[in-house]
Amino acid sequence: MDNNADPVLPAGRSENELRALLDAAVDGVIVIDHEGRIATFNRAAERLFGYRAAEIIGQPVTALMPEPYRSAHDGYMHKYLQTGQAHIIGVGREIVAQRRDGTVFPASLAVGEVPGSQPPRFVGFLHDISSRKLAVEALRRERDRAQSYLDLAQVILVALDQAGRIELINRKGCEILGYTETELIGRDWFEQCVPEGRREEARARLRAFLGSTATQPDYVEATVVTRGSEIKLVAWREILIRDEVGAPIGVLSSGEDVTERRRSEQALTRSESMLRAAQAIAKLGNYEVYVPAGPSFWSEQMYGILGSDPADGPIPVDEFVARIVHPDDRERVQRELARAFNETGRLDLEFRIVRPDGSSREVHSLAQIQPSADGESLVISGTLHDITERKLAEEELRQGQERLTHVGRLSTMGEMATGLAHEINQPLTAIATYAQAAVRMIDAAPGADPSELREPLVQITTQALRAGEVIRRLRAFVKNRATRTETVDMNRLIEDLRVLAEPDARVNDVRLVVALAPAVPAVSADPVQIQQVLLNLIRNAIDATLEAPAAPREIQVTSAQSADGVEVAVVDRAGGIAPEIAANLFNPFYTTKAAGTGLGLAISRSIIRAHRGKLGHRPTPEGGTTFYFTLPPLPGG
Amino acid sequence: MKEKPATVFVVDDDDAVRTSLRLLLKSVGLPVETFASAQEFLDGFDAERAGCLVLDIRMPGMSGLELQQRLNEIHAIVPIVFITGHGDVPMAVEAMQHGAVDFIQKPFRDQDLIDRINQALEKDRDNRAGLKERDAIRRRMQQLTPREREVLDLVTQGKANKVIAGDLNVSQRTVEIHRARVMEKMGASSLAHLVRMVIEADRAA
Repeated sequence: MDNNADPVLPAGRSENELRALLDAAVDGVIVIDHEGRIATFNRAAERLFGYRAAEIIGQPVTALMPEPYRSAHDGYMHKYLQTGQAHIIGVGREIVAQRRDGTVFPASLAVGEVPGSQPPRFVGFLHDISSRKLAVEALRRERDRAQSYLDLAQVILVALDQAGRIELINRKGCEILGYTETELIGRDWFEQCVPEGRREEARARLRAFLGSTATQPDYVEATVVTRGSEIKLVAWREILIRDEVGAPIGVLSSGEDVTERRRSEQALTRSESMLRAAQAIAKLGNYEVYVPAGPSFWSEQMYGILGSDPADGPIPVDEFVARIVHPDDRERVQRELARAFNETGRLDLEFRIVRPDGSSREVHSLAQIQPSADGESLVISGTLHDITERKLAEEELRQGQERLTHVGRLSTMGEMATGLAHEINQPLTAIATYAQAAVRMIDAAPGADPSELREPLVQITTQALRAGEVIRRLRAFVKNRATRTETVDMNRLIEDLRVLAEPDARVNDVRLVVALAPAVPAVSADPVQIQQVLLNLIRNAIDATLEAPAAPREIQVTSAQSADGVEVAVVDRAGGIAPEIAANLFNPFYTTKAAGTGLGLAISRSIIRAHRGKLGHRPTPEGGTTFYFTLPPLPGG
Repeated sequence: MKEKPATVFVVDDDDAVRTSLRLLLKSVGLPVETFASAQEFLDGFDAERAGCLVLDIRMPGMSGLELQQRLNEIHAIVPIVFITGHGDVPMAVEAMQHGAVDFIQKPFRDQDLIDRINQALEKDRDNRAGLKERDAIRRRMQQLTPREREVLDLVTQGKANKVIAGDLNVSQRTVEIHRARVMEKMGASSLAHLVRMVIEADRAA
C-alpha cells in the first residue's frame, strides 16, 4: 500500500482521511488493477482474510478465492475488459472466499469500476454472511421439521388463493389425493379434487368464508375425490390468509382423512343399536355396578326387565336386594352375593324380582366381581336375564311330561288289566265261596257249634284284605300325582311291585323270579315312577316271551350294586331284539305290539334320565334280552 | 270193579279259592279232593274213579285247557266244569268245543256251581253206564262166528236176506238160520234193537 499511491481517491481529500475512512468500514474493501493485482486492502479485509495488507498487496486477487472461482475469475476479467459485459459489476452476489489459512466463508460481494482510472481499476466491498447463512439454514430446517410433523400427523395441508387455485399442498395431501405436487399446484381445487355434485356448494363456501371476518378456524367435513375416483371424507380446519393490510387473499386448510374413522364410528353406532335391539328381544340387560360407589351403568333393557324408569338411573346393590329382589329370595341372594364378594368372584344366580307394579319376574344373573381400575371399589359386571317365559315353558314342559308319564302308567296298567282283574277276582271268589259255605253249614245244622264258622270267617277277612291291598297299590300306581322324591330301598320297591307284576305274569303263564342282592345302596327317587319303569320292562319281557313260544317261560328281576349305584335288571329268555328294532327302541310312538302306544320305553327312559340314571339293554347270555337301569346312590349314602 | 262214591276233583292254584271250594262242597255232602296244579292231578289220575273235575282254566305251568287236552288224549271220560275269570270267555268256548260240561265265572253263586257239578256227576254216571253196556255188546259180538259176523254187518246195512244170500253165495235159507243165531246171541228183540247195539259198539271210547 505504501508503494502504491491510490489513484481512486478523490482529489481534495487527504490520504489520511481516506485511510481512516477505509479502516473504519465494516466491510472489507479491496481494490485491484486491471491485471487483477490487489492494490488496496483495508483493515476489515485484513480481519476477514487473515492477511496483512503489506503481504497481500500486489498479489493476484484470486489468492482470496477457492476453486472453482479462482480459475473462472481471470476469464471474467478478460471478458469484461474486452466486451464491457460484466456479470457482477453493479450487482451484488454471494460468493465463497478463502482465508489465509485455507478455510472458506460465505460472503456478499459488490464490485464497481473506479471511474476515470486508466487502465481500469476495480473496487470490491465484501461482507461476511456466515451468520446470516446459518440463520437461513436453521429456518429451513425448522420448516422441514414442521413439514415432517405435518406429514407425521397425517394432515393434509392445502393453501388456496381467492379463486380456489391450489397454491400449496403438502406430501400427505398429494398422497391421499393420488397426485404429485406438480400435478396440483396452480390447478382449480374444486375441479380437481371435489366430487362433481359437491363443487358448487364448496365454491360457495369458499366465497362465503373469504367474505367473512372469521378469526377462528372454521371446521367442516367435506368429501374429496381422489385420482382413483375414490370418495373420501375429510375433516377440514380452515383459516383465512390475509395480506399486510388484513385483506383475505386465500385460505389455508388442514384436513384429516376421517373416512375410516367415520366408517368405524358408524359401525359402532350400528352395533350399539343392534345390541340394544338384541337385548330388548332377549330380555337381557347388562350392568356395571360399583360397590360401594362409582360410575355405575345399566343398559336400557335393565330398566325394561325391572319395570323401572331409566331416568332414575342404576341403584346400589344393597338397595337392589332390599327393594327389588323378591322377599322370599332376598336372604339367598344376599348370601350368594356375600360369597361372590368374599370367595368366588363369580355370581350365577336365579331369583325373582318384584316390579313397581307388584308383578314378579324370574331372572337369571351372571356376573364377575373385580376391583375397579383405581382400586377404590369393586365392580360387579354382568347380565340380568328375564327367564320368566322360559321358566313357564319349563313348567309347562314338566307338567306335560308328568301327564305323559301318567298316561304311560295308565297304559301299562291297561295292558296288565287282565292279570290285575284276576288278582282281585281270586280273593272275591274265595270270600263268596267261604261265606256261602258258612251259610250252608248253619242251614244244615241249626244250633251247631259256631266255632266251626271261625275258619271261614278268618279266611273271609284275610281275602278281603288281600283284595284291598291290590286295589290300594293299583290306586297308588295310577293316581295322577306330582313327582315326589324320597329315599328308596330298591329291594323293597321290587318286592312291593310283585303284587302288581305277578298277576300279569301268572295269567300269561310266565314265571316271575325275583333275585335280589342282599343289600343295595339307597337311592333318591320317585318310587311310583321307578315302579312304572320296572313294570313297563316286565310287561315288555312278558310280551317278548309270549312271542317266542319255544323260549323258557321265565322272567328274572334282579337287583345289584354297580359302579354307578344300583342296577335293576329284567332278564328274559325270549328271541332277542332285531337290530332294526333296537335302533328305534326308544323312539316315541315306535312299537312292535299290535295294541302298543310306543310310549313305554320312551317314557321309561325320560324317567330314568330325570333320575340321573341310565336305561339300556344287552343280550342275556343264555339267549334273550336283559333290560336294565341304574340309579345313582344317595350322596354320601 | 270197586264202586267208590263219585268224587269232585278240584284243581286250582289259588290256595284260598281251593280251600273255600273244599269247604263249600263238603258242606253239601260231596266228597272232595283238591289239587294245587294240573300236573298234581294228572299224576294221581285214575280213569276208573267216578266223579267230575272242577278246573281253573288259567294256571301257571299246565293250564286247565292243556289238562283237558291231555285227558282227551288218553280217552278219559271225566266230565269237566271250568271255572273262569271275567276275560276268559274265548278260552271257555274252546273248552266247551273240546267237550267240557259247562263253565262258570268267578265269583259264582254256590247253587250255580253245585248244579253244574251235579250235572257233571250225572253225566259221569251216564258215561260209565254206557261204557258198561258197550262192553257187554262187544263181548256178545265176540261170540259170533265169522259167518254170523258177516251176516250181522250186512243185515245192519239194511240188506234183504235174498241179497245177502247172493253176496255170500249161499242159499236164502242158510242166511235165515245165521240171522236167527245172531239175534239170539246178541239178545236183540228186533232188527231196530240190533242196529242200535251195533252203533253203540262202534262208538269210540
